[in-house]
Amino acid sequence: MAAIIETHNLTKRYKKVNAVTDLSLSVDEGAIYGFVGPNGAGKTTTMHMLTTLLQPTSGEAYVAGYSVTKNPRDVRRVIGYMPDFFGVYDDMKVWEYLDFFAACYDIPEGERGPLIRDLLELVELSHRAEDMVDGLSRGMKQRLCLARTLAHDPQVLILDEPASGLDPRARIEIRELLVELANMGKTIFFSTHILADVREICTQVGIIEAGELVMQGSVEEMQRQLIPHREIIVTILGEAAPVKERLAILPNVDAVDDMKPDGGRQRIHVTLRGEDEEVSGLLAELVSGGVPVLHFTEETRDLESVFMRATRGIVS
Amino acid sequence: MADQPEYLTPPSALGAFIRRNPVALKELRGRMRGARAFVVLSVYAVLMSLFTLILYGTYSASQAVTLSTSGGVIGKLIFGAVVAIELFLVCFISPAFTSGAISGERERQTFDLLRTTLLPAERIVSGKLISALAYVLLLLLVAVPLQSLAFLMGGVTIEEVLLSIWILIVSATGYASVGVFFSASTQRTLNASVLTYAFALAVTVALPIGTAILAAVGAAAGASDQVGLEALMIYGTYLLAATNPIATAVLTEVNILNNGGIFVLTQSLSNGTNVPLVQPWIPYTLFMAFVTVVMVRLSVRAIRRASLEGDTQPDAE
Repeated sequence: MAAIIETHNLTKRYKKVNAVTDLSLSVDEGAIYGFVGPNGAGKTTTMHMLTTLLQPTSGEAYVAGYSVTKNPRDVRRVIGYMPDFFGVYDDMKVWEYLDFFAACYDIPEGERGPLIRDLLELVELSHRAEDMVDGLSRGMKQRLCLARTLAHDPQVLILDEPASGLDPRARIEIRELLVELANMGKTIFFSTHILADVREICTQVGIIEAGELVMQGSVEEMQRQLIPHREIIVTILGEAAPVKERLAILPNVDAVDDMKPDGGRQRIHVTLRGEDEEVSGLLAELVSGGVPVLHFTEETRDLESVFMRATRGIVS
Repeated sequence: MADQPEYLTPPSALGAFIRRNPVALKELRGRMRGARAFVVLSVYAVLMSLFTLILYGTYSASQAVTLSTSGGVIGKLIFGAVVAIELFLVCFISPAFTSGAISGERERQTFDLLRTTLLPAERIVSGKLISALAYVLLLLLVAVPLQSLAFLMGGVTIEEVLLSIWILIVSATGYASVGVFFSASTQRTLNASVLTYAFALAVTVALPIGTAILAAVGAAAGASDQVGLEALMIYGTYLLAATNPIATAVLTEVNILNNGGIFVLTQSLSNGTNVPLVQPWIPYTLFMAFVTVVMVRLSVRAIRRASLEGDTQPDAE
């Protein structure tokens, strides 16, 4: 799939501080790309460079084929940007807010009315069109801000922590909205601290730390790369020792450890190298060896584990 | 049509014109919404009326006058006082409307949103300026009936009224553009306000002092028969006066009263030689036009520079 966002050795330096260093990432067209990293890692700085708000110190970035340094106006035409805060204009109605930004994107007067109606319907705020922006809840403001980014029908949405500070319901609503937008063909590049959201909706993930891209790929690819072994928990009837001896000599088994018994049943923790075939082979070996297996489960390797392994807690 | 939402209703011709600059439209909507604008305009009209009434009452009590005998004097007095107050207000209200124009966007954290749109810096600056000027013009319009009292009482010509309105408009434009410049160049509205008022004070207070000193030197030179220096001081005085709205208005009015033309006049030196002069409102207009163009261009540059260098600090995350 073609890349719609590409950065090549993108660097931003503030005097002695390297906010972003040699960042090279690639976002596929139509992807939902989760940009993950600790506070101060360089996520917002990267987004500011991609949205033409900040000039890179060196390197280059392209959005939909346009250089952020050489064709900033073209880049602005194809992106919708939502910062991590909601800038409020006092004394503005919800529809006026959208009308203002639609006008800022040169959308003709006659097209704005129907556009605002559609956008409000999309983010389920039609009933609040005449209300003042200031009176909306934070979740509603985030949805309105998302509607604003769509006013000029951009190809790429760059969203800085869109679910930050939202209650669980509002967070889920935003997440569903992002999936809906991706289904409409938008590419979504968003930063977040909420790994559950990344796991749930992202097709690509990039992990940044201390201004450097530590990893990128799909969640599954990252898991395979960072945690190559599989962890199997076997619950058996009877003595664990002979089973452990039998498993320890198998070629793909790295370690066999005792676990705390569960309801008087013995449990063994097996660390295994390999793919699904090796896991299946392990079960077959136990069964063919007459081991009375009660449970055979693989321990889930969640994104938190991947993140913790990928990062070292360094802040630039 | 009655049930149709406002955003689906086609705008009027005036609305369509204003909508060409979304920033101007947004600012005007915000400024004119609710009771605030009505209250401000009403209070302004009442205060100006009270001032005019007190002026008339005080003058009438101190002089045995009637409208038929001294109407012209009272008319001129009221006209001069109203214009002086308006000039003072314009010098200090116009910058107040614009000193938060761009820095306010930064403080509200809406500046980045604007910068990622297709709106060029020129339209941001012009939108802010147009909306501020529109409100100042509304304030001037409110005071027109009070200025018109002068016609009722006599003593003031239509040329004088038109010139006063012109000087007010030119002053409002120049001072508002200074406010926009400082707003675009600083991060905080407080800083922008302080710098803008410092500029306004320098122009309205410090320059007249300089003008007075030059005039005094000119008079002294006249007394000592140094004709060349005297002529130089007269031109210097006029040029300095042409940087100050109040000095410009007063000098233009004095020249008109001394049978000078609306555009040009002559002034006699101590040796009887006549030197040609233009009325101060002409160089003042040119000066303010220059200030406006320079300030607008610098504001645009400041906004573009923010786009190049970024307003955001590395600890933004």
